[in-house]
Amino acid sequence: MKVNDVFSYAFSAIKLRKLRAGLTTLGVVIGIAAIVALLSITQGLQDTIAQQFQAGFATDTLIVFAGGGFGIGANAGLASESDFQLLVNHTQIIDEIEGVEMSAAVVQKLGYIKSDEKELMLTVVGVEFTKYKAIYSSTFVAESGEIPQNPENETVVIGKRVSDPYDEGTLYFDVDETVEIKWTRTTSISVAPYFISKNETYSGRVEAILKEIGGFGLGPSDSSVYIPISQAQVLFGTDECNSIIVKLEDDDAATIESVSEAIEKVFGDQVSVTSSTAVLDIISSIFSTVELFLAGIAAISLLVAGIGIMNIMIVSLMERTREIGILKALGMKSRTVLSIFLCEAVIVGLMGAAFGTATGWVLANVVARVFSGGGFRQAGNQRATAGGMTITPILTPSVFLGAFAFGILVSVIFAIYPAWRASKLKPVEALRYE
Amino acid sequence: MTILTTPIVETINLQKTYMMGEVPVKALRDIDFKLEKGDFLAILGPSGSGKSTLLNLIGALDKPTEGKVFIEGIDVSTLNDNQLADLRRSIGFVFQFFNLIPRLNARGNVELTMAISSLSKAERRRRAEELLETVGLKGRLNHKPAELSGGERQRVAIARALANNPRFLLMDEPTGNIDSKTASEIIELVKKLNKEKGVTIIVVTHDQKIAVEAKRTVLMIDGLIVEEKVN
Repeated sequence: MKVNDVFSYAFSAIKLRKLRAGLTTLGVVIGIAAIVALLSITQGLQDTIAQQFQAGFATDTLIVFAGGGFGIGANAGLASESDFQLLVNHTQIIDEIEGVEMSAAVVQKLGYIKSDEKELMLTVVGVEFTKYKAIYSSTFVAESGEIPQNPENETVVIGKRVSDPYDEGTLYFDVDETVEIKWTRTTSISVAPYFISKNETYSGRVEAILKEIGGFGLGPSDSSVYIPISQAQVLFGTDECNSIIVKLEDDDAATIESVSEAIEKVFGDQVSVTSSTAVLDIISSIFSTVELFLAGIAAISLLVAGIGIMNIMIVSLMERTREIGILKALGMKSRTVLSIFLCEAVIVGLMGAAFGTATGWVLANVVARVFSGGGFRQAGNQRATAGGMTITPILTPSVFLGAFAFGILVSVIFAIYPAWRASKLKPVEALRYE
Repeated sequence: MTILTTPIVETINLQKTYMMGEVPVKALRDIDFKLEKGDFLAILGPSGSGKSTLLNLIGALDKPTEGKVFIEGIDVSTLNDNQLADLRRSIGFVFQFFNLIPRLNARGNVELTMAISSLSKAERRRRAEELLETVGLKGRLNHKPAELSGGERQRVAIARALANNPRFLLMDEPTGNIDSKTASEIIELVKKLNKEKGVTIIVVTHDQKIAVEAKRTVLMIDGLIVEEKVN
C-alpha cells in the first residue's frame, strides 16, 4: 500500500471520531503549549536580563562591596561581622592597583524626591558624575539637559522613570526644576527599640534626565536620582560607601582575576569583588536550572497526554478489531496495519504539535505582557521598584522544532504498543470478533 | 478434466482441530478435494459441519492443524506472514455479513482492495466504477454501506472481491443475510460471473437455490465430505 494511501486511510479513521480525536489531540496541545510557553518565556527573560545586565554593567568593570565572601547588591556587606567600612576615599587605594583605569564610589540610600505636590520614594545615589559617566558611558547618558561637570554643587540627575513614572508623557520632574531630596536619618539610642528620626534635605536643580536604560543591572537605573557624592556624604552624614565601581584597562579574564585578587588583598579580604561576567554566569546557570525544571513539568503533562493516546488507541483497537480482520482478509500486510495505526498517532501528534506551539506562543506573549510593564508606584508607602522590564518571549528554532518533534515522538511512542497489537491480530479471529 | 493443469485449489488430508476451552473439537477430519479453473463449487452441510473452517483454510485466513492446502501449486503452509498477505490479495472473499468498511462509500470499499495492492488512483477509480456497474450498482457509487440495502451491500462486497482479478472467489453464505428475492438476484450475478467472466467460485451455503446452480456440490457432515455431485 502506498504511503499516501496509508495516510488518507488513517485520516479517514480519525475523521470518523472527531470528538475523540479532538480530545486526544487536546492532551498533546496542552503539553506542547506548556513546553513552548514556559521555555520561550524563560528564554526571553534570560535574554532580557542578560542584555540589560550587559548594558547596565560593562564587562570591563568590577564592583567592590564591603564584607568578605560573595555578594551582589547593596546589602552584600551587611552580613559581615567585621566592622570594616568601605569608604569613599578608598578609591585612591584602588586606583593604585595595576590594571585599574579608574574607580568611583557609590553611596546610596532610600529617600524621596519632592517638588510641589509631587513626591516619589526612590533610591538616592551619590556618585562622582564625571567618573560615573566615564565608566557607564552607554547608560549614564542624558536624554535632556546635560550631566554637570564642575561645579557639581546643588545639581541633580534623574532617571527616566523618575521624570515620567508611568511612561505616559506627563513629566513629574523636568530639567531646570528645583527639587528637594529628603532622607530620614534614624539613629538608635542606648536601648533598642528607641530611635531618633531626623529628616535631612538637599535642594538642587535637575540638570539632566537620563535616557531610558531598562530595568535590570548593577549600574545606573531608571528609577534613581543622582547627586554629587560630596553632597551625598553631607546629606547622609557618612563617608561610608555602598560600593566602589572599578573600571579596568581591559576586560581580559586574566586582568579581571588579577585585579580582583589585588583588591581583596589590599583590603585584607574584607571586601568582595564581583565581576559582571561572574554574575552573568551565575544568572545563566540559575536560568538553566529553572528552564530544566519547567520543561520537566511540561514534559510530565505531555507524558499524561501520551498515556491518553495509548488508552484511546487500545479502545479504538478493540472497536476496530473486525475492521482489521477485513483489511487482513483483503490482503493487507501486518506492517501496513501497523503503519496505519502509527500514522493515526502521527496525525494526532502533528495536529497537537501545530496547535500546541501556536497556543504556547500566544500564551507566552500574554503572560509576558502581564509580567512586563512599569514597576513604579505612586509615592507614599510603597517603594519605587527598579523600573519596568519588558520580557519578549523568544521561540528559538531549536525549541520550536524540539517541541514539535517531541509531540510527535510521544504520540508515536505511546501508539507503538496498540499498533503492534493491531498488526498481530489473526484474520480469522479478528473477523469473528463482535 | 484430464488436461495436465495444476488445480487452482487442492487440499490433502486437511485437518483442523479447535480448542473449546480444554476440549479439542475436530472441525475438519480429512478433507481432500481439487478445484479446477472455471469451476463453480457449492459446499453444503449443516451448521458446525466445518464448511466455514474449510473456506478460511482455503482463503489462507487460518492455518490447518494437519495436512496441506495448495493454491495453484503453492503450499500455503510454507508461506510467511507477508507472503500470506500477498496470497490473500489474489483471493476474492465474500462474507455472510458483508464486512464492508462502514466509513467508506461503495466506491471507496472497492477501491480499498486495489489501494492495498498499490494500484494507481486513476486505475482504481476506473476499475471500481466498472466493477460496480457489473454488479448493477452504477447509481450507488457514493453511498455508504449504511445507506445501502442488504442485497446492495453484498453486491459491493462481490465487486470488492473481484477488484484484484482474483484466482478464485470464496463466498461464505452470500445469501444468508438477505431476503429471498434479492438472494435470487445475487445468485444470478454469481452465475453470470462464472459463466461469462470465467470466475472460479467456491460457495459455502445452506441455500438450495445456489446449490442447483453450481457445477459441482459437495456435502459436508462433521468435518468430512460425505457426498460429491456434478450437476
